[in-house]
Amino acid sequence: MAANPLVSLTLMRILLAEDDPDMRQFVEGALGELDHAVVSTTNGTEALRLALGAGWDMVILDRMLPDLDGLDVLKGLRGQGHTIPVLMLTALGQIEDRVSGLDAGADDYLVKPFAMSELVARINALTRRLGSVEPGTSLAFGGITLDLRSRQVHRDGRSIVLQPREFRLLEELVREAGAFLTRKMLLERVWDFHFDPQTKIVETHMSRLRSKLNEGFASDAIETARGMGYRIAAP
Amino acid sequence: MIWLFNSAARRIALVAFVAYALTILLLGFAVYGATHAAFSRQIDLNVEQATSALLAEYRDDGLAGLSRTIALRKAPGPISLGIALFGPDGRQLAGDLATTAPAPGWQHITFLDPLEGQDHARAKVTSLPGGYRLVVANDLIDLEAIDRAIFGIFAAVMGVLLAMGVGGAVILARYLRGKLDMIEDTASAIVAGDLARRAAIGRHNDEFDRVARSLNTMLDQIASLIANLRQISADLAHDLRTPLAALRNHLERMEQGARQPGEVEIALRKTDDVLALFDAILRISEVEAGSLRRAFAPVDLSGLLGELSETLGLLAEDDGRTLEARWQPGLCVHGDRQLLAQVIINLVENALRHTPHGAAIHVSVLAEGEQVILQIRDNGPGIPEGDRDRVLRRFVRLETSRSTPGHGLGLSLVSAIAHAHDAGLALGDAGPGLIVTLRFARKARP
Repeated sequence: MAANPLVSLTLMRILLAEDDPDMRQFVEGALGELDHAVVSTTNGTEALRLALGAGWDMVILDRMLPDLDGLDVLKGLRGQGHTIPVLMLTALGQIEDRVSGLDAGADDYLVKPFAMSELVARINALTRRLGSVEPGTSLAFGGITLDLRSRQVHRDGRSIVLQPREFRLLEELVREAGAFLTRKMLLERVWDFHFDPQTKIVETHMSRLRSKLNEGFASDAIETARGMGYRIAAP
Repeated sequence: MIWLFNSAARRIALVAFVAYALTILLLGFAVYGATHAAFSRQIDLNVEQATSALLAEYRDDGLAGLSRTIALRKAPGPISLGIALFGPDGRQLAGDLATTAPAPGWQHITFLDPLEGQDHARAKVTSLPGGYRLVVANDLIDLEAIDRAIFGIFAAVMGVLLAMGVGGAVILARYLRGKLDMIEDTASAIVAGDLARRAAIGRHNDEFDRVARSLNTMLDQIASLIANLRQISADLAHDLRTPLAALRNHLERMEQGARQPGEVEIALRKTDDVLALFDAILRISEVEAGSLRRAFAPVDLSGLLGELSETLGLLAEDDGRTLEARWQPGLCVHGDRQLLAQVIINLVENALRHTPHGAAIHVSVLAEGEQVILQIRDNGPGIPEGDRDRVLRRFVRLETSRSTPGHGLGLSLVSAIAHAHDAGLALGDAGPGLIVTLRFARKARP
């Protein structure tokens, strides 16, 4: 049995700005289970004041906050040159908010309501993004290597031919090696779909990618966890 | 006063009436003034002429000649022109004017008419050498009579016209109120719950008829929306009940101990189904609200289909169908890339779901004049002509497809997105199969 996939590797100090008590409790609970240290606030001014102080690893910011909008908090933070990762939470039906949030410098966004696994996956991805700033021309994990220039893929030295989307899928999985990527994250990153098309496109591509990677190998290269998503299997 | 001011109709009628009365009054004054002035001028002219004739007499024959002439002019009965000559002592030497000697110049005098008594006259008094004065006067009785006649006529006409004006104002006010009351009554009846009530439309096609017609159109629209909403609520409740009941049964079985591997996973999947249904409903509402349009930009529809073709082809292949995508490069439309991608995916999904194994699906983006045509065609059973409008509505699923998965929302979303893009959406017969066509206005490449 693999280690609990919800437990992330690094413990972080996270600032949470959210005025809705249910949502705050939900996020606090999820982060607490991961052993992250969470400080919560319910208004925007306080959030900005706290965020400008040192020592945070991440800020989770609700788009709609009393007295100072989440977007303004983010702009204030970025305006002062802070590059700390920010995850924005937006209410459903505010697609425009997503665009304005990302434009203002949010690193990721999540539309409410979301599943806990979705939140955890996003937080983990943001954490890792901090470590791997190097662009690089190749990726490797667990015997799988990707050449980003020539678009060639090898597993244990054996060449594998992939379609463009399959390559992009594998690239994302290897980039985030060790963590789960949810269906939604893959839709966003590989297809640039910021909506759920309610179709099996991720599953379809993933099953093809998997069969191509696994052909001639005994072990499954891609691990699937219900509700969690996909990750590249540890060697 | 309240009677007056709580009715716009009465106010309008009153203003019209007052304006009308003032116009008549002004006209009366103008006629009176003009007539009066013309007659006064005529009188002055008569007096002037008589004075000149008498002065000519005086120059030729002196005082004696003048007196003679005055005596000769004397005539019995009421005359309009009176003449008198006064001596330096103020005594009347000749003439028939029963008055005392007035001062020189134009005068308004009073004299005694032998037949009519005290009378007024317009007089010109000329001084003659030696303190004599010649008075020529024209009595004002005719002028006064004319003034009285004009005044009388105008008073009568004014009376009649004012009566007509008041009557007209009352009728106008009543007419306006009546027309407006009809609309107000309709609104009140609707508020009271009689949703089928409509305003009566007259046959003149005037302003009121047009307002009544607009009101009725609006009411029809609202009624259809309400009916639609009721239908949606009922369908929604039904569509939610089914998966929730299944989920409940499932959880119940688990509680009873019949636990098998994968049970929780099934329960989670059933929950996801319900959540997906809600997402789809919210998504349609969001698109229909129209606020997304503000973020619209030129989208390369051909490029989008090109990007999607690999994915769509694989989806079809996995389902045992074939998909062929064809596009003319560089065709742009004004819209949202995400929504347009959703349209293509939904229509392809729809085709995959409702066609038999081995079916062929064709997707194309082509130019036709100033339009960009997105077309999805399959060779499945198609949709009967009578059902084609119906399937675009929410939760509508045809009996023939009850057994296939889906909520009956895919085509509603396509319809909502097409509407948001001002694109024409048509379902047709591909003979055999369904052909769905979306017509967008073509945009220049950004």
